[in-house]
Amino acid sequence: MLRFRHQMQPRKLKVTPGANPQARINKLREIVTGLIRYERVEPLWYFADEARQYAERLLYLAIKNGDKHKETMELADYWLEEKDLVHKLFKVLVPRYKNYKTCYTDLHKLAVEYPGSGIPMGVLELRGNPWPPIIARQRDTKFILSNMLLTAAKQDFYNTKQQLKSDAATKRQQLIEKSDDMHTIRRTDDSSSVDPPAKTENLMMDR
Amino acid sequence: MGFKGLFESGQGFTMTDVEGKLVPERGRMDVEGAFTHVSSSQVNVAYKSTHVINYKRTRAEIGQALRKKPNYLHYDLVDKHRSSPLQKGTDNITVETDVKAPRDYRFIMPEFMPRPHFEYRDRVLEKLERRDMLRRRTVINIPEFYVGSIMAVTVSDPFAPNKKNRFLGICIDRGGHGLKAYFVLRNVVDGLGVEIFYQMYSPTLHSIEVIRLEKRLDDRLYYLRNCPLEHSTFSFDMEPIALPRGAQVPVNTLKLKLNPKPWDERWERQDLKGIEPIELTPKMIKGIQKVHNASATPWKKHDLMLHYRSKVNEEEEETIMAEVYKENQLLESMRKTSKATLKKKK
Amino acid sequence: MASKSLFTCILRPSPITLLCANNNNLALLPSSYACVQQVRHRRFPKFVVRPTTRKVWHVRKWTQKHDDKLITSNEQFIQDIVVQNYANKSESPLKDAPWNRNPYIKGTRRTGVLALKLGTMVQWTKDGKGINVTLLQVLDNHVINYVPPELYKFYPSHLPHHSDRFGLQVVGALSCDPRQFSKPYNNLFVKAGVPPKRWLTRFLVTPDAAVQPGTPLCVNHFRVGDYVDVQGRTRDWGFQGVIKRWHMKGMPASHGVTKSHRKMGSTGGGGDKDGIWKGKHMPGMMGNRFSTLFGVKIWRINTKYNILYVRGRSIAGAPHTFVRVSDTVLPTKRIKAENAENVPMPTWFPEDETEPIPEELFDEEMFQFTSPSVELEAES
Repeated sequence: MLRFRHQMQPRKLKVTPGANPQARINKLREIVTGLIRYERVEPLWYFADEARQYAERLLYLAIKNGDKHKETMELADYWLEEKDLVHKLFKVLVPRYKNYKTCYTDLHKLAVEYPGSGIPMGVLELRGNPWPPIIARQRDTKFILSNMLLTAAKQDFYNTKQQLKSDAATKRQQLIEKSDDMHTIRRTDDSSSVDPPAKTENLMMDR
Repeated sequence: MGFKGLFESGQGFTMTDVEGKLVPERGRMDVEGAFTHVSSSQVNVAYKSTHVINYKRTRAEIGQALRKKPNYLHYDLVDKHRSSPLQKGTDNITVETDVKAPRDYRFIMPEFMPRPHFEYRDRVLEKLERRDMLRRRTVINIPEFYVGSIMAVTVSDPFAPNKKNRFLGICIDRGGHGLKAYFVLRNVVDGLGVEIFYQMYSPTLHSIEVIRLEKRLDDRLYYLRNCPLEHSTFSFDMEPIALPRGAQVPVNTLKLKLNPKPWDERWERQDLKGIEPIELTPKMIKGIQKVHNASATPWKKHDLMLHYRSKVNEEEEETIMAEVYKENQLLESMRKTSKATLKKKK
Repeated sequence: MASKSLFTCILRPSPITLLCANNNNLALLPSSYACVQQVRHRRFPKFVVRPTTRKVWHVRKWTQKHDDKLITSNEQFIQDIVVQNYANKSESPLKDAPWNRNPYIKGTRRTGVLALKLGTMVQWTKDGKGINVTLLQVLDNHVINYVPPELYKFYPSHLPHHSDRFGLQVVGALSCDPRQFSKPYNNLFVKAGVPPKRWLTRFLVTPDAAVQPGTPLCVNHFRVGDYVDVQGRTRDWGFQGVIKRWHMKGMPASHGVTKSHRKMGSTGGGGDKDGIWKGKHMPGMMGNRFSTLFGVKIWRINTKYNILYVRGRSIAGAPHTFVRVSDTVLPTKRIKAENAENVPMPTWFPEDETEPIPEELFDEEMFQFTSPSVELEAES
């Protein structure tokens, strides 16, 4: 199962020359090969988004089936135009992504050039690559004003919540002790009288 | 130019009626281009927001609005809303994965797999549909069968003399998802080929018996229509033969010979394994070449996303099959105990 | 003088007209002398072009995403606060006392609900006859506002056919994080005390069936066996030609036809009826407009997942679109006043039920999958 949100239907890519499915696949094959080779490529965003699905699927199958599965090997042979990359796929990338629970690639959208065609470019990269990160390391925002105020408010909020809880518990205990002393009210009655709204809610959920 | 001048020129001035007097609401552009504001102390009106939303859109924006776009929610978003902490009153389905179904379980009950289209899938609907199917399975026993096995079905029929009809025949097709699952039986009655389409979960079905459990070489056996009738004749008094426990389902490697033309379909163009090789005329060869050239799509074999979209994905398949397996195990144990009690009573 | 000249223009000069011209006594004129020409009625345009401008009274809904610079623990804290302030409220959101509840009488119109279309399924009746049903889920619905008819009369959205007897009931579905909406949009929900909703609609209701803002609506608003109207948005087909949009014939593929295989024919006649009439069927934007299915039966209800099983599979729109479900307006299928004892008025409240409601409710004619197979009685 792909681990990122993708289009429900495939895109029709405007590939020239030869606007047919074979040309589309060839174009995507180029991008996937480049991605595995250089770990970062910069095609059109629409192409990158489409090629990302194929690359992820290939990696998933390689991890799942291993290099002794014949059909997976055929797929890898087809999708990687340069044959030394098949070795890289099974020996380098599979161990890298074995324990990932997220997707294996990242896609960024670049700003549109002006004047130009107006078509956005994208950057497609493998995770854990050796290149410097695309999004520059951000300043530590822990000490900016909004964060400082929010952390203070957060502590206040959770502390008061805990206090309210403990207060309620102590009150209930006191009540129970009193009732034990008085020998008039049973514990069960007491507990039911404390929170009737919660009970009705449970009923609603259970019905 | 002062306040009075502006008032006289009346350019873009809006007046509001407060206690019978006309009062200017806010300042506008001066003649010389300077912006003059009427201070709030002069104006005796409650505060009114001056924020203006531009409802006129650019040509590009209008074009984008007119373009074809889906007006449905993504299934991911729907699931998010169902499990949101802000939502109350409606339950959401839970996934249980404590058991694991056997590997070939999917082929025993293929109708439990949903339709693989992303747009038509809904997790809650599928769950409710599966529950209905399992409930029906508690009432009648729907056994394991394949295309090519010989079966007998009894149905309540308003036109039959006893209001019940029993039909025996070979299963030539099977398909459908969910409650719409179906199978087709074929036999020869009084020298005439008869095919009956049954809905698997219809309440009119009374029993389904499997008389010979076996497979054929093809997934659809509609070519039996153009074979000699002896291949699709089965006597109605056949007695069921059970397979030994743990045995694999046998494959019947029978190869049939087709009748001479005319045929219902162009069988030579389909890749059929269950028929003997046909003597091809030059016209037939031309037709085969034509079809295969048109549908020559070598890329389809390697299109990863095409495979992914045309099938329910592996992880989800496992969870669904595990759920069905668990329910069926419970059912079988129930049946065994009921049988044992019946024997004891006797 | 003027009348005389006019009559002489239109009618043939005859002794009677000449006589009458001076007297101004038109009653004397025989009817055969009046000029009656039949003018063909121009139909009201069936299809109205989709408006590209927003209504003035709608506020802007979406805003920019919230601040990215917050650290993750603070993000979590804000989400906690949102949940606590909206969902886990200890006090009732209703500031006023609950409104009076009236009985159902002739002419009452209740609110509807917003439902999510899930898809279609097959079910069977007790005779063994198959029926197609559509599943509609009533997810997270709340009443947002009510405007009485006296006020609603002056609203800009009031249309002439909304008579004075109807008030306005605003209903919303699917609670969201308020940070993604604009402030004026969020302010719409302050009165009701519910989280801001993804989807809003309005229903016309009579004042005796008005619901207090803030009350949740669920599937028990309807009963099994009732008839409802379901309104949904059709699929967006984009700009389409005449054959797909209006089912015109086009022209044949051969026999000397050139360049007009999929074109429309003539656009109009000549003479008096010349020009292109309003509402002429032409290529254009297809779909993405409301269409209503009237009088569909509710076969089955699931109260746990809040699902209606409704007859037919021709409800407009793709799966996971929203549909408006309300009591039918068809006179033969409407709820009758004598049959209206159990109708939840103005809506269903959990306090009404003393016993827990079963999870699934079936119509009388519906086959239940736990019951044995259908057996037809043999004729003796």
